[in-house]
Amino acid sequence: MNNIIEINNNKYPELLKNVGKDAPKQLYYKGEWTDDLFENCLAVVGSRRMTTYGRQITQKLVSKIATNGITIVSGFMYGIDATAHKSAVDVGGKTIAVMPCGIDRVHPEYQVKLYNEILENNGLIVSEYEGDTMPAYWTYPQRNKIVAGLSKAVLVIEAGEKSGSLITANLAKKYIRKIFAVPGPLTSVLSYGTNQLIKNGEAEIVTSAEDILKFYDIGTTRSLASRCNEKLSFSGSLSENEILGQLQLEPMEIDSLSRKLNKNIQEISRLISFMEIKGQIKKENNKYYVS
Amino acid sequence: MFLKVQSATNLGLETIGVDVEVNIASRGLPTFEIVGLPAKSVDESKERVRTAILNSGLEFPQKRITVNLAPADIPKEGSFYDLPIAVALLASVANFKIPENSLFFGELSLDGSLRHTRGGLLLALFAKENNFKNVFVPKDSANEAAVVRGVNIFPVESLSSLLSYLLNKSRIEPLEYRKEEVDTFKAKPDFDMAEILGQEQAKRAVEISSAGGHNILLLGSPGAGKTMLARALPGILPSLQEEESLEVTKIYSAAGKIPPGGSIITNCPYRSPHHTISGVGLIGGGSKPKPGEVSLAHRGVLFLDEFSEYPRSVMEVLRQPMEDGKLTISRTMISVDYPARFILVASANPCPCGYLMHPKKQCSCSEREIRKYKKRISGPIMDRIDLHIEVPVVDVKELAEDDNAKQFLEPSVKIRERVINARLLQKNRFINDGIFVNAEMKNEQIKKYCQLPKEAKQILISAANKFNLSARSYFKIIKVARTIADLENSLKIETSHIAEAIQYRFKEN
Repeated sequence: MNNIIEINNNKYPELLKNVGKDAPKQLYYKGEWTDDLFENCLAVVGSRRMTTYGRQITQKLVSKIATNGITIVSGFMYGIDATAHKSAVDVGGKTIAVMPCGIDRVHPEYQVKLYNEILENNGLIVSEYEGDTMPAYWTYPQRNKIVAGLSKAVLVIEAGEKSGSLITANLAKKYIRKIFAVPGPLTSVLSYGTNQLIKNGEAEIVTSAEDILKFYDIGTTRSLASRCNEKLSFSGSLSENEILGQLQLEPMEIDSLSRKLNKNIQEISRLISFMEIKGQIKKENNKYYVS
Repeated sequence: MFLKVQSATNLGLETIGVDVEVNIASRGLPTFEIVGLPAKSVDESKERVRTAILNSGLEFPQKRITVNLAPADIPKEGSFYDLPIAVALLASVANFKIPENSLFFGELSLDGSLRHTRGGLLLALFAKENNFKNVFVPKDSANEAAVVRGVNIFPVESLSSLLSYLLNKSRIEPLEYRKEEVDTFKAKPDFDMAEILGQEQAKRAVEISSAGGHNILLLGSPGAGKTMLARALPGILPSLQEEESLEVTKIYSAAGKIPPGGSIITNCPYRSPHHTISGVGLIGGGSKPKPGEVSLAHRGVLFLDEFSEYPRSVMEVLRQPMEDGKLTISRTMISVDYPARFILVASANPCPCGYLMHPKKQCSCSEREIRKYKKRISGPIMDRIDLHIEVPVVDVKELAEDDNAKQFLEPSVKIRERVINARLLQKNRFINDGIFVNAEMKNEQIKKYCQLPKEAKQILISAANKFNLSARSYFKIIKVARTIADLENSLKIETSHIAEAIQYRFKEN
């Protein structure tokens, strides 16, 4: 089922065609090629070595943006890319994965589950390479051209000093696309690139999904997930609120919670389990977060 | 002249009676032969016996001597045939009657004295089962044998003292039943739990682990305190109950690990082999199979530090003993069973560089490396670990000034009290089930002893859905909840116990 769209085909996305000689001659794809998929695309790019902060922000922003009908375009690498695809799929949103390798290859191969999920959710896998061409150093920046070219705007979440995500941002600048960047803590090396983009005025600062939705001129509808959460947090007891209060200030380990709230570990563990099941909080890297 | 002295040989934990038959021919050139599949150590017994008899100032018969160790088709190994052979030879020259219903057992020193010999306890147990009245053992091994009631244990110091006893010239007093604790194996905790700042969850998990016999995995960066926790563990382990004590001592006796003068092991064994250990070292083996670390840790703790560094082949041999609590070692000549019911305490880093969850240091591993590293501990092994704890790196300086942190510090002695109490509850519960601790429960017992209130069941089911728990994880949580309830002296498992147990589940991500 090798599907090809040539550059002279009228289904070939306009935006991508406009980037001139950077536009690939043909696109191989898997999934169902529909025109509305390319209508409102947002490229979400970021570091492979994503921090917990990066993962959280990606999930938060992307799930809201994807719920509002915007197609999330990314490069299917692990880290921010994969999280962006996954978050879009999870809320039933549209997503396009642009591969740096031949269309018949899943790269990285252990993300095959995500690969199938994208296809099952009417997403699209795209590549300019045929067959099972191996990815090479030069195919990654090449792939970024498609990611940037397909999208009206690029959202950069976490990028180190010499990150590939900055290449995508530069391409976006070249193609005259809007660039958004998420600010990060100054202590993290993975915030250097994004903070620099904001500092130089190349990117617009993003503090909520609305910033991006406004650019696409779309009002917000609340996601299903957030509505569920509100209903559950209703039943919060006094101590649960205490825990939430602490975690809103700063994510922390269960031991620190126990010390801060001066409650023994048994009591905290029991509460935490209830809150985790209800979806009020989430555990990642041994720390609890308000979800 | 034909003489017969009775002795026994140990094959693993089994003991088989051996008749030491000595014939002293009146004709023929003087020789000294041992037949009946003797190993080198038995064959060399000739020289020890001859020299010991001469050095004791006694007469060695200058005749054609043939010793047969019957049954002749079982390979004989060990040095303890010295004494029975010597007794038979002395009887031929000194003219005394070899006492009936008696076992002789012991290695001779060249000067005629007797040395500490391994397997004394097993021999005494064999004597009791087979209605032998008297057992003559080296003085240093006598305490070990005297653990067994209803058998006269004669501590023999030297050949000459034994001879004068047998000639009715002097007396050797049989030992009273006694329990001399073997201090050597008292694993002294290197730390008290109260010395460990922070780590409240990990400490709690270790408490649950030793109370219910649950296997535990401690995951954390270098310097987080995993090893410290494991080293403090002996301080909260309960003493062995009498039955367990005997089981453990038998293994140590067979391995020859009971020191001279020691008798019974009453403390939970604590073994921590290095990760370069071989499969045979861990599980036991050899042509005459010796118990390995898993058996030496029977009814105690097997601490495997840096668990991911163990070669896969070595790690996998743990599967059968972890499931069955015993193992069978088969070799060409012989196959022996050793019990191996231990608590596995394993510690590992979260990634190859170790700093994945570190608050300050940056992890330098790629996603792929981390995935690969996590796969080093195989699924079947993970499946058998009930408690899964992530140990965070703590800022000790900060904690030292935190009053709340100090408030939760409990000395090991106090935690141990709770553990002992919980073990007692379990002992009474499982009195007819042939198991000792909650971790050993099978589905049938879980059904019987772990009735969940409706609300608890609901919580467990929603947790199973939320966290994608496997059926095995589901039952592990119930078992752990049973132990948590026991620690609180609660007959019923409450919803809160289940809720706490959920925190220790195996986390997949």
